Amino acid sequence: MSARTSLINAGNTPVTLRLKKRRRAEWRLKAYGIFAITLAMLALVALLNSVVRNAAGALTESYIELPVTLAADDIDPDATADPKIILRADFGGLTKRTLRAVFPSVKARKAKRELYDLLSNGAGFELAEMVSKNTALVGQDITFRFLASDVADLYLQGSYGALIEHTNHGDLTVSLDGDTATVSSSTPDFQTALDGLRAELLQHSAHLREQAAMQDAGVVEFMRRAEAATDAEAKAAAQAQVTARSAARDALIAQALEQEQRADAGQSGEDLTKSSPSLLINTAGGWIKLTRIEADSGVGEVLVPLKGESSDWSLYTTELPEDARKVSDRQIAWIESLKQAGQVDRVFNWRFFTASDSREPELAGIRGAAMGTFWTMLVTFSLAFPIGVFSAIYLEEFAPKNKFTDFIEVNINNLAAVPSIIFGLLGLAVIIGFFGVPRSAPLAGGIVMALMTLPTIIIASRAAIAAVPPSIRDAALGVGASRMQTAFHHVLPLSVPGMLTGSILGMARALGETAPLIMIGMVAFIVDVPSGITDSATVLPVQVYRWSDFPERAFEARTAAAICVLMGFLIAMNALAIFLRRKFERRW
Amino acid sequence: MNDMKLAEKTVDQTDIKFSAKDVQVYYGDNHAIKDVNVDILDKTVTAFIGPSGCGKSTFLRCLNRMNDTIDICRVEGNITLDGEDIYDPRVDPVQLRAKVGMVFQKPNPFPKSIYDNVAYGPRIHGLANTKADLDEIVEQSLRNAALWGEAKDRLQEPGTSLSGGQQQRLCIARAIATKPEVLLMDEPCSALDPIATAQVEELIDELRQDFSVVIVTHSMQQAARVSQRTAFFHLGNLVEYGDTPTIFTNPEDPRTESYITGRIG
Amino acid sequence: MVEQHIASAFDRDLEDIQALVMKMGGLVEDAIRNAALSLENRDEDLAEEVRRNDKLIDALEQQINEDCARLLALRQPIASDLRTVLTVMKIAANLERVGDYAKNLAKRTSVLLQMPVIEGSSGAIKRMSKEVQLMLTDALDAYIRRDQDLAEVVRQRDLEVDQMYNALFREFLTFMMEDPRNITACMHLHFIAKNTERMGDHVTSIADQVIYLVTGAMPDEARPKGNMEVYAVPEGAQGGSGA
Repeated sequence: MSARTSLINAGNTPVTLRLKKRRRAEWRLKAYGIFAITLAMLALVALLNSVVRNAAGALTESYIELPVTLAADDIDPDATADPKIILRADFGGLTKRTLRAVFPSVKARKAKRELYDLLSNGAGFELAEMVSKNTALVGQDITFRFLASDVADLYLQGSYGALIEHTNHGDLTVSLDGDTATVSSSTPDFQTALDGLRAELLQHSAHLREQAAMQDAGVVEFMRRAEAATDAEAKAAAQAQVTARSAARDALIAQALEQEQRADAGQSGEDLTKSSPSLLINTAGGWIKLTRIEADSGVGEVLVPLKGESSDWSLYTTELPEDARKVSDRQIAWIESLKQAGQVDRVFNWRFFTASDSREPELAGIRGAAMGTFWTMLVTFSLAFPIGVFSAIYLEEFAPKNKFTDFIEVNINNLAAVPSIIFGLLGLAVIIGFFGVPRSAPLAGGIVMALMTLPTIIIASRAAIAAVPPSIRDAALGVGASRMQTAFHHVLPLSVPGMLTGSILGMARALGETAPLIMIGMVAFIVDVPSGITDSATVLPVQVYRWSDFPERAFEARTAAAICVLMGFLIAMNALAIFLRRKFERRW
Repeated sequence: MNDMKLAEKTVDQTDIKFSAKDVQVYYGDNHAIKDVNVDILDKTVTAFIGPSGCGKSTFLRCLNRMNDTIDICRVEGNITLDGEDIYDPRVDPVQLRAKVGMVFQKPNPFPKSIYDNVAYGPRIHGLANTKADLDEIVEQSLRNAALWGEAKDRLQEPGTSLSGGQQQRLCIARAIATKPEVLLMDEPCSALDPIATAQVEELIDELRQDFSVVIVTHSMQQAARVSQRTAFFHLGNLVEYGDTPTIFTNPEDPRTESYITGRIG
Repeated sequence: MVEQHIASAFDRDLEDIQALVMKMGGLVEDAIRNAALSLENRDEDLAEEVRRNDKLIDALEQQINEDCARLLALRQPIASDLRTVLTVMKIAANLERVGDYAKNLAKRTSVLLQMPVIEGSSGAIKRMSKEVQLMLTDALDAYIRRDQDLAEVVRQRDLEVDQMYNALFREFLTFMMEDPRNITACMHLHFIAKNTERMGDHVTSIADQVIYLVTGAMPDEARPKGNMEVYAVPEGAQGGSGA
């Protein structure tokens, strides 16, 4: 009788030690798995976070409501009431005149340019369209909502920093002299701003001193090298470095000293430059930009004329200096006064979905690209799905098993791994070059995408068909079904979930492909919405690629928003795949 | 006690249904079935017994040309059904399989409703012109398979929702719906529990009033219980073929005796 | 028989063999009665009939054996079904022996009819064979009704039959000692009595089978044997040749 081993693991028997080792290994495996998943989740969260945050800027657009005089002389001098003639009238000029009417004090050319820059270039066209549709308006005075420019919209969103209000206690007295205004307050309300300026100077000087210290370190080092140098040339070079760096250091220190002196200089005032945040005063409906301040007074430029006198006033600082933003102080003042008059409106940006591409970010939308994607996907699906599914059925159910079919199978598997840009080259050379399909059309894009998706669909469908157990086929044959009937009445319905999943995943991949479509030319600037498969078009991923290249800052938000739309499509397609799979899954 | 005599009627089983002469079956180079000569009688249950790999299932599948689906399988010799050679090139295997039904080892109902399972065969062979005809065929088949009572209220439920024994009876109903003349059964009870097995065996006993049944079984006891004629296969040869009571009380060939008494594998 | 087998043919087969055994039992009962009757009424023809009918009984036993063998091979009965088949075979064997004894009785009756009557013997023999016949009827009833208690009673009644035999044995000894001319007749009569006693033993064996069928175990206590007296050596019978 051999010795019995106990099941209860206690003590340090070899069994217990093995058990401990095994448990540790299992724990490590679990830890790796959780670590990997966590890493992936973090990456996903980071991606979503950055994209969604950026896209928030494209959520809204801004309109400025202004009174317009639709003088017949300007629009329809011959009183034809013909929409075409009305459309061709100079509405751009009308828009400019409208703006000047709101701010008549603007005279300088640069200032006028800044004023016109408050509205979008397309605002005039929108007015023209409206009037041409409603010709009875000619000759009337109306109020019209003009689309704000991208810069104005960005400011209103707060992308250029907020306007920070300072508390002020005293009463303000203003004395005007043309465009210059002198202000003084009964209490030292500008002290904080002054202190801020001084602090900035000190910060700058500290920075300069740091740089000087670095130069000094260089001087010491080169002096050492000069001493240690063996030949005359090296010594001379080192000496030169010493001299240069000493000079730089001294210059920096001089600058720093100057700044510190300015900062220290008593209670006397400071000049405000473009490199420091701007100070604005809003009083009696007007805006003044301060150019020099002392503790309780200041001198400034009138941006928006005051309408009378008032002792109520507000003092603002901008977050960013004028150098660091595209919206000027004048524009800020105009926008703020329009806002105070209730003429500024921010609404949801439906235009993003209804407009097609444009050079101006505030006018740009994804409609053209979305329709292009739709047509392309339609062509892809109608080509790839039937061909793929029937090929799979033939290869699995009917084809004889010989070397030739093995060869075909190997090639299909390889095609699934080919880089997508090769398909783009194929499209360019063969489909567009040889068959003459119009370039940049969804037809060409669809054919290329179909070729790319076909191997995926074939492989997934074959796997789904092969997964049907042979007992079903035997049962069908036993009842007297022919091979066709067996394949189509029994095998195919059972393999539909797998086929659908494979197809939708293939389509989802095709949806996000950019490189091959760029190769076949779907990257042009298309403004019209494509209405068929032979019209020129672009697709969403390519649109994202183009917009990401543009310099305007407002395009950043729109690029992110387009990416969100694309991701939304992908999630929807994957959810559809899962839903269809669950619904059609049958137990056998 | 005469096994040939049923409760009410005497059946005439002297007609030969399948006649096999000098049948050889090759799987590639492997000579799986050698020189088999056997006559399957009508309205009789014939059992094929023998150890694993002796070729009984292979021979069974020759009778309805299911071996056609296997590329490397080659059948030589002469097999006739009611005098007609079933391997004649003019014979359509699909038509043959409507006349010779098959039930498999593991119950394999289609993943359709119970009604559609039974109706599929008649539909594709055009046996019913109207819906009423089809309903009639389905009901009759389910009754004959002793499943009507349990299934009549759940005809639209999937066939896979039945228990194992019920599924096998559904497969039997499906096979007899095409009004076959012969029913081939390849170890129909091996996946069932004893009660379900006994129910299926009782069903086979009833079915032999209308069909000729050929059943391949691993269980000699089952062959003894259910069949009137038994054929013993060994290593591809047909060793002995005779009346079941004789084979099980006093077989002629010593190999048969060794197998059924459990002296060889 | 509580429930039916799922395979109805199995039930039919079991019923068939039991029907055969009951039929055989009926024939044997008739044989006993007729044999006794033929002796009582000195009926030559009846005795002849009994001897003829024994062939039927033998044929039935053979058929029962064949059918049981086939049933064992084809149905592999177990538990109570197995006991049913085994008891049918055993009971048939016992019945066949009883039938043989009845035939023998008839044969001896034919011989006795050519000899003078021995007074007082036929009544006892008639009672004995009547008792055995009733025992057989009861044993077969107990079998068909699976009645264990009735079978037990039948076993006990064999004691009476044995005692009747003992009495007849002493009586015949007396007759033979009285008048040597009676020896032949008395020998035949003695054999008739002995055979009847043996019939009783076989019927008791049938009752044992019934108990085995019902309980699954053969009865424990030995059957009461009442015929030990015959093995006692009576006075006056010693002597003779040898020591």
